[in-house]
Amino acid sequence: MPIAHDFDYIKPATMEQTIELLNQENKRISILAGGTDLCNMLKNGFRVPDLMIDIKALHELNVIKDNNTDIFIGALVTFSELINSDIVKEKLYILWEAAHKVASQGVRNRATMIGNICSAVACMDSAATLLVHNASVHVKSVNGERKIPVNEWFVDNKKTACLNNELVTGVTLEIPQKKYASAYEKQMRYAGEDLSQSNVGILVQEDKTYRIAFGAVGPTPKRSLKIEHFLQGKELTDSIIAEARQMIETVIAPITDVRSSKEYRMQMTKVMFERGLRTAIERLNNLI
Amino acid sequence: MENYKYIGQSVQKIDGKEKVTGAALYTDDLEFGPDLLYAEIVESTHAHAFIKNIDTSRAEEIPDVLAVVTGKDFPFKFGLYMKDRFIFAQDRVRFYGEQVAAVIARTPKAAKLGAKNIRVNYQPIDAVIKQLDSIKEDAELLHPDLENYVHVPWFFPKDKTNIAHHRKIRKGDMDKAFSEADHIFEEQYEVPRYSHCAIEPHAAVAKFDLSGRLTVWASSQSPHTQRHIFAEALSFMGIRHNDVRVIAPHVGGGFGSKAGVTMEIIAAAIATKYPGHPIKIIWNREREFFNTYQRPGVITKLKMGVKNDGTITALKHELFWDAGAYVEYAANVVNAVGLSAMGPYKVDNVQIDSYCIYTNLPPTGPYRGFGYSEFLFGLESLITQVAHKLNIDPVKIRRINAIKEGDTLAYGAHMNPNGLHQCIDKVAKEIEWDKKESSPHKNKVIGKGFSLFWKAPAMPPNASSACFLKFNEDASINILVSGMDIGQGYLTVMAQIAGEILSINPNKIRVENPDTDRNPYEWQTVASHITWSCGNAVKNAALNAKNQILELVARCKYLPIDTLFLEDEKVKCTTKANFELDLKDFIITGLQMEDGTFKGGPIIASGTFMPQFTSTKANPETGQGGHPNVHYTVGAAALKLEIDTETGKMKILKAVEAIDGGKILNPSLAKGQIIGGLLQGISTVLYEDMRFDHRGKMLNPNFTDYKIPTALDIPDEIVPILVEVAQPDGPFGARGIGEHPMIPAAPMIANAIEDALGIRIKSMPITAEKLCLAILNSSKTNINNK
Repeated sequence: MPIAHDFDYIKPATMEQTIELLNQENKRISILAGGTDLCNMLKNGFRVPDLMIDIKALHELNVIKDNNTDIFIGALVTFSELINSDIVKEKLYILWEAAHKVASQGVRNRATMIGNICSAVACMDSAATLLVHNASVHVKSVNGERKIPVNEWFVDNKKTACLNNELVTGVTLEIPQKKYASAYEKQMRYAGEDLSQSNVGILVQEDKTYRIAFGAVGPTPKRSLKIEHFLQGKELTDSIIAEARQMIETVIAPITDVRSSKEYRMQMTKVMFERGLRTAIERLNNLI
Repeated sequence: MENYKYIGQSVQKIDGKEKVTGAALYTDDLEFGPDLLYAEIVESTHAHAFIKNIDTSRAEEIPDVLAVVTGKDFPFKFGLYMKDRFIFAQDRVRFYGEQVAAVIARTPKAAKLGAKNIRVNYQPIDAVIKQLDSIKEDAELLHPDLENYVHVPWFFPKDKTNIAHHRKIRKGDMDKAFSEADHIFEEQYEVPRYSHCAIEPHAAVAKFDLSGRLTVWASSQSPHTQRHIFAEALSFMGIRHNDVRVIAPHVGGGFGSKAGVTMEIIAAAIATKYPGHPIKIIWNREREFFNTYQRPGVITKLKMGVKNDGTITALKHELFWDAGAYVEYAANVVNAVGLSAMGPYKVDNVQIDSYCIYTNLPPTGPYRGFGYSEFLFGLESLITQVAHKLNIDPVKIRRINAIKEGDTLAYGAHMNPNGLHQCIDKVAKEIEWDKKESSPHKNKVIGKGFSLFWKAPAMPPNASSACFLKFNEDASINILVSGMDIGQGYLTVMAQIAGEILSINPNKIRVENPDTDRNPYEWQTVASHITWSCGNAVKNAALNAKNQILELVARCKYLPIDTLFLEDEKVKCTTKANFELDLKDFIITGLQMEDGTFKGGPIIASGTFMPQFTSTKANPETGQGGHPNVHYTVGAAALKLEIDTETGKMKILKAVEAIDGGKILNPSLAKGQIIGGLLQGISTVLYEDMRFDHRGKMLNPNFTDYKIPTALDIPDEIVPILVEVAQPDGPFGARGIGEHPMIPAAPMIANAIEDALGIRIKSMPITAEKLCLAILNSSKTNINNK
């Protein structure tokens, strides 16, 4: 399908040049990294930029860096690269698991996690990981650098805290210093590639602290502090899990759309919460 | 059974190498040089509206836009069985996405920009979305002048209604049969619309040259029928059939969507408005969903009378079809089901009413199964429900009632030879029907479901096939036919048939996709009839060639013709062991006589086939008196289904399907059809879920939200079983199996669910979500009942 409108295309060689180019108030600018969302939007006419800035020459953004207490993932890292990373598999298992469930092999070879959180559609697979690892998003502009905590990053469906002249350079994920394990559960209509109708991210630590994130069941993905507090310090017996599972009805507000009814999203979120929690505990027990 | 050399062998596909190496060209692969132009259409943004005016001025000013075409340019209707469709909408649009205008441009980009700049002023009319609303007395009429529409004689439109056709069957005495039944069961089922989802979208390139010759390259199941409809539609320009040439390259999936004519006529028509240039139109995936054909939706109401022992005494079957805005092809789906909705059972008292209803949704038409998947969902569900209520095993009740050779069909003719009972026995054994199974997993249960199926080719009584056969110097052969290989292996099987008769290895026989200028007539590659019908034409051509060869040798070698035979590219003699003549030594050049002269010449042959016992002449009130169908192909299927009771997710652990294809010409290809067809059927049950909003706009015309299974979603095991009760008039005893494998998928899954959970789902699709919510509801009901 052709793109029916014209736009300028620039592939800057340096970060400085990139943020200078971004600093043009009167232009509609699109940033190209993987392009798997952007190209469809251009073809459909949902995005009509004056300028497209291709950041693929900024090689410093194609990095996964282990800083022991945290891990930095650059804006050009693709989902396939996440899957192939030993650091990710060892320390960010939930991300490794989620990355496998993003779209199809072909899309994963091009699509970036940063692109995923910049599109910020409610069904994104990356958010749960970032939420349970207390991530912060790095942005850069002519005015300098900012680090935005992930719980402030998602403002609304398809809306982030990123300003028009800012470039997202990457994200830092906190690594717990106690023993921990995690799990990602995704509601899909079949086993092939699908957008999640809802998803649950779980991180459990050996001191019985729990981090629970829900995706696609509200305008933005969210941690549930209510359920986390309830579980805090508790041994997860069947009745505790059942009670926590019941609380989900009070913490999420799924909608009905063409992909799922709200009733099914609610049911699946409950089932995935329980199954994810049990999986994470099992993984933690295997570590200890 | 006779000893065959090539028939019944799993001969490798003769077009396989071409496809595997990428040598095969599809319509969009063809090169047309710098003269090629592109067209983009303007789509209706209303499901039902009058067109007040169309402003094309802004589009015409765009650089590289060459012409704009609207309905005014082509003020007439076309259609296969009923002329109710328009090349471009005239004074009104009848579905969301209908083509209103087209822009011809030098680049795809300019064409798209041009289309965006055409302004259409609409005056909306009430849209009729549901078929039961459409038949209410005060419903808005989609086609107020229906009474003037041209249609085949076996259709019965109702003037001043939205009913385009009503097929009636009245057999036996219903009142008596119901009063004598021990039990009467009534149920209603619903099957929504589906899309074919061929991976290659529709594509057509048309060129009207300066001498007035029209050539269309199209991804097609029906090159000759397309030529016929183009010639008819453009006859006002003085175009004759032999001025129109349709060239059909390889096809990336058809499933019925590329039968008849849909978007190809736009290419053909607009080419005449800009002569001298080939013009290309390719459908995007969205249009592939809503502007070709969809499978029609249906609401069925069944009433069945049954004896205590399970014998069916009467069946009343009403079918209300949502056939969409134009039904030129779908009305024949409705008709076919009207003739056959008795199912593969012996029932003496039958009443069928099959209604073809206009709605303001996309046009519907042929889809693998041609309505049989839809009506058998209800019928095969109901029979299982009846069995449970009477405490009879669901397989046993089928054995009691299953149709046999000679039993009377709904329209009064008699059932052909068939192996339905063998199919039932083999499937029941393979699925271990009597063995109850349970899952080792917590939250999971296992159920088994069974279903029968049948289907007849639905075609005009005189649909025909033809074949030219040419020998080459080395005794290789080119066969010219006009069926389409749409993946089923048709070309290979035609080579096997000719190869068997002429004793030439099929790998020395080329059979390729057609060009209507060169290749002889074929009606269409639809109806699972092509192996049977075109196979007979090829067989006749091969017999004709064989006869020419043997006559020539008899004449020149002074041998009795009945002592001569063909073997391994040679003519041999039963009475002279040492006699042999290589075909390659005379098949083109002729045989040299003692005086040095030559006799014979290039061996070329032709053959045709048309069924000569069929007739649609019947009493319109009862459907009795004709012989509309050539034969039925029957089968049985079962599966073992694992259900996660918390999520509703289903996994097919094993599926078994037996089909009686008569003599199976190529077992490997036949099994491929069974596996592929069954998967397509399963897809319509578990995943595909078409949605429209209340205004008639399709909400999921894409693979993001309309799911077809991936390799990860297929059953763990599929066992295809071939039963072979010969079809007397088929080539070597063959009959068609192309559509049938998908037909039993829906009822057997619904039946397996009931077996596992006691929950009966009466509407398709049966997604994990639908089942999960049904489980939640039933547990609530159970709690309330306690």
